Amino acid sequence: MNQQQVIGRTVRGTLGATMARAGRRFLSSLPALFGVLVFTFLLMRVLPGDPAVFFASGPNASKEDVELIRKQMGLDKSMPEQLALYLYDVGRGNLGRSMMTGQSVTKDLRERLPASLELTFTALLIALVSAIPLGVLAALKPGSIIDHGVRLFCALGVCVPTFVSGLLLIYVFYYLLGLAPDPTGRVDVFTSLPPSRTGFLMIDFLLAGDIEGWWAALKQLILPAMSMALFVIAPLARITRASMLVSLGSDFVRTARSVGLSRRHVVVTYALRNAILPVITIAGIVFSTMLGANVLVEKVFSWPGVASYALDALLSSDYAPVQGFVLLMASLFVLVNLTVDVCYGIADPRVSIE
Amino acid sequence: MQPTSFKTMFRATAVLALLLAATGPLQAQTRAETLRYVTGASVNTLDPNIPGATRESFALSLSTYDRLVSFGRKQLNGKWVFDLDKITGELAESFDVSPDGLKITFRLRKDAKFQDGSPVTAEDVKWSLDRAVTAPVLGKNQLLTGSLTSADQFKVIDPHTFEVTLPKPDKLALPNLAVVYPIIINSKLAKAHATAEDPWALAWLKENTAGSGAYVIESFKPGEQVIVKRNEAWNRGTTDKAAFFKRIIIQSVPEPATRANLVERGDADLVIDLQASDVQSLEAKAKLKVISTPQYNAVTFVSMNNQIPPFDNVNVRRAVAFALPYDDMFKAALFGRGAPLFGATWEAGKPPNGGYPIPQPVKVDLDKAREYLKAAGLPEGFATTFSFNVGQASTAEPMAALVKESLAKIGIKVDIQKLPDAQMSTQINEKKLPFFTEGIVAWLPSTDYFYRNFYIGNQRWNYSSINNPELTAIAQEARFEPDKAKYEEAGLKLNAIHFSEMPQIPLWQPNQDAVMAPSLEGYTYQFHRQVDYRDLSRK
Repeated sequence: MNQQQVIGRTVRGTLGATMARAGRRFLSSLPALFGVLVFTFLLMRVLPGDPAVFFASGPNASKEDVELIRKQMGLDKSMPEQLALYLYDVGRGNLGRSMMTGQSVTKDLRERLPASLELTFTALLIALVSAIPLGVLAALKPGSIIDHGVRLFCALGVCVPTFVSGLLLIYVFYYLLGLAPDPTGRVDVFTSLPPSRTGFLMIDFLLAGDIEGWWAALKQLILPAMSMALFVIAPLARITRASMLVSLGSDFVRTARSVGLSRRHVVVTYALRNAILPVITIAGIVFSTMLGANVLVEKVFSWPGVASYALDALLSSDYAPVQGFVLLMASLFVLVNLTVDVCYGIADPRVSIE
Repeated sequence: MQPTSFKTMFRATAVLALLLAATGPLQAQTRAETLRYVTGASVNTLDPNIPGATRESFALSLSTYDRLVSFGRKQLNGKWVFDLDKITGELAESFDVSPDGLKITFRLRKDAKFQDGSPVTAEDVKWSLDRAVTAPVLGKNQLLTGSLTSADQFKVIDPHTFEVTLPKPDKLALPNLAVVYPIIINSKLAKAHATAEDPWALAWLKENTAGSGAYVIESFKPGEQVIVKRNEAWNRGTTDKAAFFKRIIIQSVPEPATRANLVERGDADLVIDLQASDVQSLEAKAKLKVISTPQYNAVTFVSMNNQIPPFDNVNVRRAVAFALPYDDMFKAALFGRGAPLFGATWEAGKPPNGGYPIPQPVKVDLDKAREYLKAAGLPEGFATTFSFNVGQASTAEPMAALVKESLAKIGIKVDIQKLPDAQMSTQINEKKLPFFTEGIVAWLPSTDYFYRNFYIGNQRWNYSSINNPELTAIAQEARFEPDKAKYEEAGLKLNAIHFSEMPQIPLWQPNQDAVMAPSLEGYTYQFHRQVDYRDLSRK
């Protein structure tokens, strides 16, 4: 058996193991998803506030109107009956109807999820691209001016809540300088939308070959993505720095240095690759939190995403959208964890050995 | 080689310059013919009758559908507002009320067409009004207030004549046909989409329009934006021509500060739901047009539940009425932007007129308040909670703090409770809140209407849960009183009872602050408190 074959088999083995592990993880998360489903259902009904009364709020709404809405929402049935019906519907892919928008929740979420994902991905990308170099720089010269500068920057980013930084960015770049377009959603109202293929405007515009539209959408995306990124740069940069410090002080880096490898080689190939594992973990968590917690940014920038949708629904006790949102978030969390698992396997093959 | 490429480049530059020169003014022109309206709320249905319809949906339906009649407008203190006493034809060319007041005959415009080109007939009118009184829709309870309750009351005389019969003369019957709900629908189109379970095509009309209105839906994204384009054939405006704007964009922008920025930068043309503080600063900058109209069909109250102790004691309610720091509240909550309903002087303690609401002879007078508390047998005061909903926090929060501070001075200890909107409405409906602030609004404001809807019965809108047989009797009787002098007398009596019982304390009528581009004209404050886009034009 020559060397090439050995490597080939190891790689295949690693990948197979990773996939098998991912599959097992997925299966074991199914009961959790079911639990989330039932729990949210019960929680919404325990919360005070009767959606039927809230939605029957025209100037002449009477008791009959309230009853009518209650019947429409299926709230006139007993709780176990409602739960059974809900589970049956979810099983068929029907998440119910939102009173707030008048649309089916599945349709609302399908339209809004890409908006949130696009924003979150961009923000995470900006955060990673700036946090990792910052963290590495800080770790290379601990205690130096650069280190303190990075620390200050991170502290500021975490201290300023996202909606404050969002409003500030709008004030400076839109109101004062007039550089940014008006902060009203994903694309300027006067730009015509590309045919929806993926739901991600950055991709759809490219597929349609509309560079002008792509640029318009990108301009809309930058400010909200920046204000979200500012908030998450801190945890990413700090974790990169800490983990880099450990890995720079370890034996293999000292060995690599002593055999005279180039500085770049030592830092990037040896130290960073070994330090990246915790960063991936944190990035996964950050991504999931951002998706749900970016509600303030979505509100400030009128971004038609899922988080602001869920908040509006929660305030008006609109059960179906909130339940749908929680289920979606739980599923995404599972998915993100799976992805992180797979990334582990790629970053550090030792992870797959069980 | 080189000359050619030079030539190509020259040509390209020339074409580019031409393009720029041509598209510049063109774009500016289309922008001038487009109205961009931003709002914190959103449109959730295209049929205003669907239970749960938002106010923005009401506003949109006024432009997409026609009704038989509509309200005129009048100037009040130099501002245009709706005029309930001037009813003009919309789809009706003219109408007659029979001398006994029991029959209203409408003659339809012969040139009126639905947006699909088919003519508007009396059959369509009948189907639409039948739907409004029989289907499970919002219109049912509204039309009830004008004695319109059954399909038997609507009769087709010929394709262009339509008759409404009333059980007894009701002055609110005709105005009720001009409100938001009784839209005239293309019945053939709607019936084609009706099903056995849904004979009135509620599901289809929620997402589609079948009207004859001034604007046609171009795109509808619930919760985000609606774009409508002008119906060129529409001629039901006051000047008998199509509406001014070619295109209207109704866009949801949840953050009030962003809305203020948009209109200040000139990117949005009109907004009516800014925070009072933003309106204040925009008005000071004087770059934009600000039209502030007191919402004279709306009232904000401090309400007390008359059935829960200690508020079941009239002297406790009077004590509270004389212990509220009205002026400070008015300034802190509204920045003084509204019409106050306090601090009046009533000659000989009698109400000056029979209108509703009228300014009350109350002001902060702590000694008087303490006396009332003593008379109620609670000289040491008591503890209670004061509730308001999150949706009103920007005005109610500073107000609640002042209420707490001032009532503490006479020994009433107040806990402030901030409730999510749905929770607040549920608790009000269940009559569980002792002391809170809320507002009311009436589309067809008349004294008897206010008293009948907001002071009678065990129902949600009777915030104070007052149960006064005398008030009930006078208000019910006044409804059908044809004699103006007698009606006024009934109003005087009702106002006197209100003041002596003090079931709840009217505070003010907040302003509707419409902030718009200086070029915008024709803005009118409407009964539904939204913008009627058909009123607007650009200089």
